[in-house]
Amino acid sequence: MLLQLKNIFKWVNSGGQRIFLLKDINLEVAEGEFISVMGPSGSGKSTLLNVIGMLDTFDEGEYNFLDESVHTLKEKHRSNLYKEYIGFVFQSYHLLDDLTVQENLEMPLLYKKFKGSERKAMVADMLDRFNIVGKKDLFPAQLSGGQQQLVGVARALIANPKLILADEPTGNLNSQQSEEIMELFKKLNQEEGVTIIQVTHSEKNAAYGSRIINLLDGRKV
Amino acid sequence: MFKNHIKIAWRSLRKQPFFTFLNTFGLAIGMAGALLISLYIHDELSFDKTFADAERIYRIDTDIKFGGAEMRSAEAAAPMAAAMQKDFSQVESTVRFRDRGSLLLRKTGTEANTKELRVSFADSTLFDFFGIELLVGDANTALEQPNTMVLTKTAAEKHFGVDNALGQTMLLNNSDTYTVTGVIDDLPKNSFLREHTVFMAMSGYADAQLINWGSNNYYTFVKLIPSADVADFQEPLEGMLDTYMLPWAQQHFPGITKKSFIEAGNYLRYHTMALTDIHLYSNRDSEMSANSSIQNIYILSFIGFFLIVLACVNFMNLSTAYSLKRAKEVGVRKTLGSNKMELIRQFLTESGLISFISLLVALILTMVVLPFFNELSGKAVSIPFSNTIFWGVLLLATILLALLSGSYPAFFMSKFNPVKTLKGGAQSSVGGGNIRNTLVVFQFTITVFLIVSTLVVFQQLNYIQSKDLGFSKGQIVLVEDIFAVGDRLASFKEEVLKIGDVKNATISYYLPTPSSRSNSSYFMEGAMTQENAIQMQTWNVDPDYIGTLGMELVAGRNFNKQYATDSTAVIINEATLKVLGMNAEEALGTQISQDIDLERPQFYKVIGVVKDFHYESLRENISALGLFWNQTPGILAAKISPGAYTETLAELENVWETFAPGQPFNYRFMDDSFNTTYEAEQRLSKIFIIFTVLSIFIACLGLFGLAAFNAQKRTKEIGVRKVMGASVSQISYRLTVDFLKLVGIAILISLPLGWYAMDKWLQDFSYRIDIPWWVFLLAALLAVGVAILTVSYQSIKAAIVNPVKSLRSE
Ligand SMILES: Nc1ncnc2c1ncn2[C@@H]1O[C@H](COP(=O)(O)OP(=O)(O)OP(=O)(O)O)[C@@H](O)[C@H]1O
Ligand SMILES: [Mg+2]
Repeated sequence: MLLQLKNIFKWVNSGGQRIFLLKDINLEVAEGEFISVMGPSGSGKSTLLNVIGMLDTFDEGEYNFLDESVHTLKEKHRSNLYKEYIGFVFQSYHLLDDLTVQENLEMPLLYKKFKGSERKAMVADMLDRFNIVGKKDLFPAQLSGGQQQLVGVARALIANPKLILADEPTGNLNSQQSEEIMELFKKLNQEEGVTIIQVTHSEKNAAYGSRIINLLDGRKV
Repeated sequence: MFKNHIKIAWRSLRKQPFFTFLNTFGLAIGMAGALLISLYIHDELSFDKTFADAERIYRIDTDIKFGGAEMRSAEAAAPMAAAMQKDFSQVESTVRFRDRGSLLLRKTGTEANTKELRVSFADSTLFDFFGIELLVGDANTALEQPNTMVLTKTAAEKHFGVDNALGQTMLLNNSDTYTVTGVIDDLPKNSFLREHTVFMAMSGYADAQLINWGSNNYYTFVKLIPSADVADFQEPLEGMLDTYMLPWAQQHFPGITKKSFIEAGNYLRYHTMALTDIHLYSNRDSEMSANSSIQNIYILSFIGFFLIVLACVNFMNLSTAYSLKRAKEVGVRKTLGSNKMELIRQFLTESGLISFISLLVALILTMVVLPFFNELSGKAVSIPFSNTIFWGVLLLATILLALLSGSYPAFFMSKFNPVKTLKGGAQSSVGGGNIRNTLVVFQFTITVFLIVSTLVVFQQLNYIQSKDLGFSKGQIVLVEDIFAVGDRLASFKEEVLKIGDVKNATISYYLPTPSSRSNSSYFMEGAMTQENAIQMQTWNVDPDYIGTLGMELVAGRNFNKQYATDSTAVIINEATLKVLGMNAEEALGTQISQDIDLERPQFYKVIGVVKDFHYESLRENISALGLFWNQTPGILAAKISPGAYTETLAELENVWETFAPGQPFNYRFMDDSFNTTYEAEQRLSKIFIIFTVLSIFIACLGLFGLAAFNAQKRTKEIGVRKVMGASVSQISYRLTVDFLKLVGIAILISLPLGWYAMDKWLQDFSYRIDIPWWVFLLAALLAVGVAILTVSYQSIKAAIVNPVKSLRSE
């Protein structure tokens, strides 16, 4: 069991009213799963992903990650946990404009305190695996959208996370680019056993996954 | 159109209150600082210009070397004025002053004296010469008769007021009777006569009538006719050596010729010093009143200029930075057909608006701090509200400032590419980061430079104040005007010594703190020729002098009542040994005399050598000095027990009352009187500090705004980095360190500059510190510390934001 959500509630108070963003979410994810989260806009998909990624808090319920109970952990501990096991892929890539491809890839390693030589090797490995060696000294602005997302995925993977969280990773890409990314996910999932949770609006992309979770108004349906 | 510009400018300023506040506040502080400095400098430059015909008036200065030391006097010989009037057709009129220092004054028939701090004998031409009008009395005749005097309004009002003044008789120092023949208004604060309250008729002063070309004790002013050129005047002035000085010298030093005079290395040179230049350019041994120096004016102009530049730089930095936020506005305007000129005008209107609001704030600020500034600088400057030129200059300067600080941002923004800015990638489409960084470096370079300067000035002043002066000035009370005691000097001193807490006491005119000085030529027995003259301070003291002032004898002995011959003994200082080329042991027992022209000269025997003590400002080297035993009235210096000031002072005053009933008891502490020597430096250092703090403040204001802006600009980056695992401290470190690099560069540039400038400044002091290394360290740490404080607030604020929020807003 990789992670387990039990009766998760999340709300915000707005104008004296309590607005629920997540309602009574129960979810178990085993290692090696490939899950697609679907639902209409505003249904809470991103919110759920952020909670799973420990970027956001929740108000009620239990969250266990690799037998650690996230809801009782201190901030520092939690961020260590997530640093070690989780990688993020964003819809709008969020590469840093001022850094080259190579430097963008290296950044998470810096925060995870890898040594210089190790970092070099890991970055080289990633560039190799994603076939972007030729682009390593380019800035994000010099890449196409698909290439940027490729770098985004590579960055998420570089520190060998157990779990990849991807919020509409192909939202800004054309169908061919989108397919490439999905193939990549599939390969990672099958060959390397990386657990993947992706948010998507496309049935086609969802079909790459082994399981689909549907959200509506913050509730699992 | 213009109205529309203003309207839009006003709106966009209101839309960014934080930015507008920082900009206005920074500019206003810079402007207020510069305004204060300008008022100060204007006052300094206005010195003596209010006198009629000021531009035609010159003072005659004398450079003299006769024997050992060189004198650079602001005074000339008594007959000089008359000789010039007689010999030179260019000279329209002359006036002389003979400084008498302070004196006691009372109306005949009353008991209580007042003390007038500055009194001179003056020729009767005084009023006509300087265009000084009399409130009562006749300007032409007022000072003609001996024993007549003219008072200032303030002095007159102490006794009888202006209207009743004429014909009143007054007693000077309880002995001489003078008749009041006129009253003038108080003399302008920005004139060399500012301290004077009493002028007495020169015609009653015997010394002034003597033909004595050997001593230079008269401030001599000449007014040239309008067509005369002062440059043509130098040669005839030099001729006076032949016409007057040498013939006179030959009478008193028979055998002296021009040749032998010059060959012995002597000289006598007269110079003209323009009246209006005295305050800032003259620095002679005997100035009538303390002068400033043009160097200070330069330093202050420099500081004032940089305050304004700092504020402008802030403005440019903040404006270009915040222009990122307005990139879209520019894009929209451009696509709507606004041309570049139009945009530039719009932005310039904004900077103009800010400048004028700042000017208003600056004027208010200046008004509030002016009283404190005046106290600090010892001036009485005010904002000349009714002066149209002032307003003209002010408005012009403000417009210039607006153009200066507004033009770069305006051109910068008007260049934005509308396609790029509308696509949203403002960060990459708007550059200027390098220029902003350069400007920050520039600001901090100035700031660190000022910090270094301030620290060095303080160190030097501290050094002066704690330096071993060769005498001890602590716990010494000085009671002035002892002559009021009359001939009961000895018993007065005895009574003083009976006071329990008075440990020792001495009476002399001469003290190592500002007081009388007397310089004369001496000759060693067996070398009584002109070329062997030794210029030496001649101080008359009593046997308790060395003990009371804690001086140290390095050889021989003090004066002793047991030896009758000690009245012809002298104690010399170590500096005299150097001039004599002897060691202390050799010098003991040698004899010196002033009387080169007498058959049987009066000799003084060296009985002791006193360790060098500083009796002039530490700007000067210690020169030769001799202590002679001679009871003269003057100042009583009493060493008292620590902590017993109040009681001892009361007892001193009691003794004073019995010996000099009705006379004012004037006392001061030697410490204080020592400090007045360095007042100018102390003032300057305080002014330095204030403006340094101001400039640091302005620089920080800019940095603060820039940091806020930077954090905002990098919201996305911060979010991404946090998601990638960066901690709050890592992020804030990252944001802060970028600025620290700039400050670091600034420090590297400014430290050598500061070292160089302050080393130059210190050259003015004969006794000076080596600039300690920690000054640079401290300046660097201060700059870094202040920068960290300023920036880290913004950095931490940015770093603790939840990345989910910042990334969503993308
Ligand atoms: N801090 C917040 N305060 C108020 N409402 C919030 C907050 N965060 C999210 N919401 C609301 O919660 C709901 C879920 O948001 P979420 O971003 O999870 O939607 P989503 O399913 O990812 O939608 P999309 O497919 O458009 O990305 C939305 O209605 C959103 O407006
Ligand atoms: Mg979403």
